[in-house]
Amino acid sequence: MRHGKKNKEDQIYPKKVVLVGNPNVGKSVIFGAFTGRYATVSNYPGTTVEISRGVVTLKGEKTLLIDSPGTNTLVPTSEDEVVTRDILINEDISSVLQVMDTKNIRRGLLVTLQLAEMDLPVGLSLNMYDEAGEKGFDIDVEKLKEIVGTEVAPTIATQRWGLDKLKATPSLSKNLSELVTYPPQIDKAARAIEDLLPTATRSGRAISLMLVSGDDTMEGWVEKNLDKATIEKIYTIAAELQRRYSEPVGFVINKLRLARVDKIISEVVTMTPVKGGVISDFIGRWSMHPIGGLLILAVVLFAMYQFVGVFGAGISVDFIETHIFGEYLNPWITRVVEFLSPWTIVEELIVGEYGMVTMAMTYAIAIVLPIVSFFFIFFSFLEDSGYLPRLAVMVDKLFKMMGLNGKAVLPMVLGLGCATMATMTTRILETRKERIIVTLLLALGIPCSAQLGVILGMLSAISLTATLIWAGAVVLVLFVVSYLASKVVPGETSDFILEVPPIRMPKLSNILLKTYVRVLWYLKEAVPLFMLGTLILFLLDKFKILTTLEWVASPIIVRFLDLPKEATGAFIIGFLRRDYGAAGLFQMQKAGLLDPTQVVVSLVTITLFIPCIANLFMIAKERGIKSAVYMSVFIFPFALLVGGVLNIVLRTLNILL
Amino acid sequence: MNQDTIKEELMEFIWTEREHGANSIEALLQIEEVKSSGATLDSIRKLQGEGLVQISGDKVTLTASGDKLSEKIVRRHRLAERLLSDVLDIDESSLDLHACNFEHSISSEVAESICTLLGHPPSCPHGHPIPKGECCMRTSSLIKPLVIPLTELAVGTEGRVSFIVPKTSKRLEKLGSLGLVPGSVVKLNQKKPAFVIQLGQTTLALEADIVEDIFVKRS
Repeated sequence: MRHGKKNKEDQIYPKKVVLVGNPNVGKSVIFGAFTGRYATVSNYPGTTVEISRGVVTLKGEKTLLIDSPGTNTLVPTSEDEVVTRDILINEDISSVLQVMDTKNIRRGLLVTLQLAEMDLPVGLSLNMYDEAGEKGFDIDVEKLKEIVGTEVAPTIATQRWGLDKLKATPSLSKNLSELVTYPPQIDKAARAIEDLLPTATRSGRAISLMLVSGDDTMEGWVEKNLDKATIEKIYTIAAELQRRYSEPVGFVINKLRLARVDKIISEVVTMTPVKGGVISDFIGRWSMHPIGGLLILAVVLFAMYQFVGVFGAGISVDFIETHIFGEYLNPWITRVVEFLSPWTIVEELIVGEYGMVTMAMTYAIAIVLPIVSFFFIFFSFLEDSGYLPRLAVMVDKLFKMMGLNGKAVLPMVLGLGCATMATMTTRILETRKERIIVTLLLALGIPCSAQLGVILGMLSAISLTATLIWAGAVVLVLFVVSYLASKVVPGETSDFILEVPPIRMPKLSNILLKTYVRVLWYLKEAVPLFMLGTLILFLLDKFKILTTLEWVASPIIVRFLDLPKEATGAFIIGFLRRDYGAAGLFQMQKAGLLDPTQVVVSLVTITLFIPCIANLFMIAKERGIKSAVYMSVFIFPFALLVGGVLNIVLRTLNILL
Repeated sequence: MNQDTIKEELMEFIWTEREHGANSIEALLQIEEVKSSGATLDSIRKLQGEGLVQISGDKVTLTASGDKLSEKIVRRHRLAERLLSDVLDIDESSLDLHACNFEHSISSEVAESICTLLGHPPSCPHGHPIPKGECCMRTSSLIKPLVIPLTELAVGTEGRVSFIVPKTSKRLEKLGSLGLVPGSVVKLNQKKPAFVIQLGQTTLALEADIVEDIFVKRS
């Protein structure tokens, strides 16, 4: 099993502590502060879909700290919640640090009660303590400690306030038996199941309560740990209990826990009503308004076009590429290489038409790097503002027609950063059908940051009309493909229930840190592939295979798409990375080889083109190799087809760009 | 107990037994409420005489007219339960007892008014369906319902959740894990393009299909 695998760190450190809590409460901030390792921090639920591990010193002992995806309940409703629950019941955990958003203490304590039932030492972080104070919350921390029976520390993780105290917290609940009392029927059933579990089972009480709740995600655990006869007995007990209630037992249990939580809150929380932040509330409301929301979306898109396309891809790239690389670096290196190298072949490999410096480095550093940097700054700002979930509210109805719900917009927008990462984020979606469709759309038509930047740069050099035609074609294709896929892929669309975080002013330090981490990641991942791609092109060119390929591809590239034959090279390296392919087109446009119509056609084609290698591996990992193969087989000819059709339409209607 | 009450209790329980797929006379007479009303085999024979039921051996079945009468009685009982639990906040454990005494004094007109007041609830607090009455088919009414679907709450106002009638149990659990259960106070922020509600300090976006399942008492 994916989550059960042991790695080296597990063996070195005897103690393991897990960070658990509702989504979007700041677990990853605390993880980063404790371990010095970076975990992505944003302002929307579902940022963390995979576990991160790091080392922290707790109570004088080196301990392995695990960051988990946010969860509202230990009876999971989506894949990322399963990840968290599985860590708790499968791994050998010594204690839990629960992080809660103090102003949402009600939902936080609901998780606390469930953790206490696992009989693990728990430490509570009342995080965003300042925000709760501004909202008029006054919390009697001592009283809360007394009732819950564990240690509690108020914290403001982003300012690192109170974190030292939190380190000292994990302790066993002293009042476990008093926390929640269940009615005799439920209690009896839970005890009967607990007796059937293997004696070594930790958290037997909690697990038996999950089983009486009829939690079907427990199937894996049950099959691994119990024999057939026992499983049968357990299901009989659960079914017997369910027959006594008209509501699902899980819901009855949840209501009891909530009632207990409400009682605790009435004892520890005093509220003084205050007026909320006016500006952020205003933006928060308007961004979800049927008309205001569209206006704000238009402003956001236009700002991106200006910031990334015009300023990043236009002005900055022009400066770095034309001046720094074109006028100084490349001529200088060429001279040095010419002087030092006795063989022309080496010279060509470094500074020739398909040279490591003149092509690979120029593409990676001079064109794509500035673009991704600008993109990531903009994107981080959006992520931290809390705008993205509001976008999900706006598009829900549209997405329903595509067989998805509004929540699917989150992985798709993340795909603009990197489709590979976003493919993993599809875990926040609840049904398999939705995960397959979104994975397909990411692979098909969501351009990643680098590619998008290059594309915006090329289009902004033509006109806004060209940009709109490109965007319209891509969006239309995504819509149609998704609509058709929703008819073909079996399964259901899940309910749209999404928590909307408050609008916050992004912190400059977090934006810069996030951009830095992502740019570094880009360099590590992309540069080697750019060099590999260049080497392939170099060899193809040397052995005259490139000319042959251009000849073979010419009926499609030259006739059908109406592009110059040199574009073949761009599409070939597009197999490695789509942004690299786009960069090739960028160079051709600059050299005057492409007219505006050809630019739009080639860009639509490369946008839809086959997913990059990293993304294919991720699809294979998350959805299986078969899916990855099927998707590629569909996407490749489909991208060329759409490009060709667009070409015919633009030429026939004689649309001037 | 008077004869009318015995008759009503019997008719009610023959109906509810049928809901569970049972029709044994012996089992019927063992039910606590039927026993305490003083009903006997003779009382059932009397119902047969009135053309309300048919007896064959240990089995009792409702005739068409008996079915109609029972439906009305069950409807009154379950509406009474709703009224007691949603409006008067009577504890669930003593609900049935109060409702039993209450139902016999409700006329059909009063039942219609209660039904409208409560927003034509689809089920009783125990989750059993409430048979529909004439008022449920009519669209307009003089009485403004006290309990309404959350979809009909005015934007910017608050309501306390009375009950949730989910189309799937998964949905109920999902809402519960977010803290949305009967008794929660919600504020409706907007209806379009999707519903946005405020639950304490939590803002939730929901699609209309889910919001239709949630019924609230206006405050």
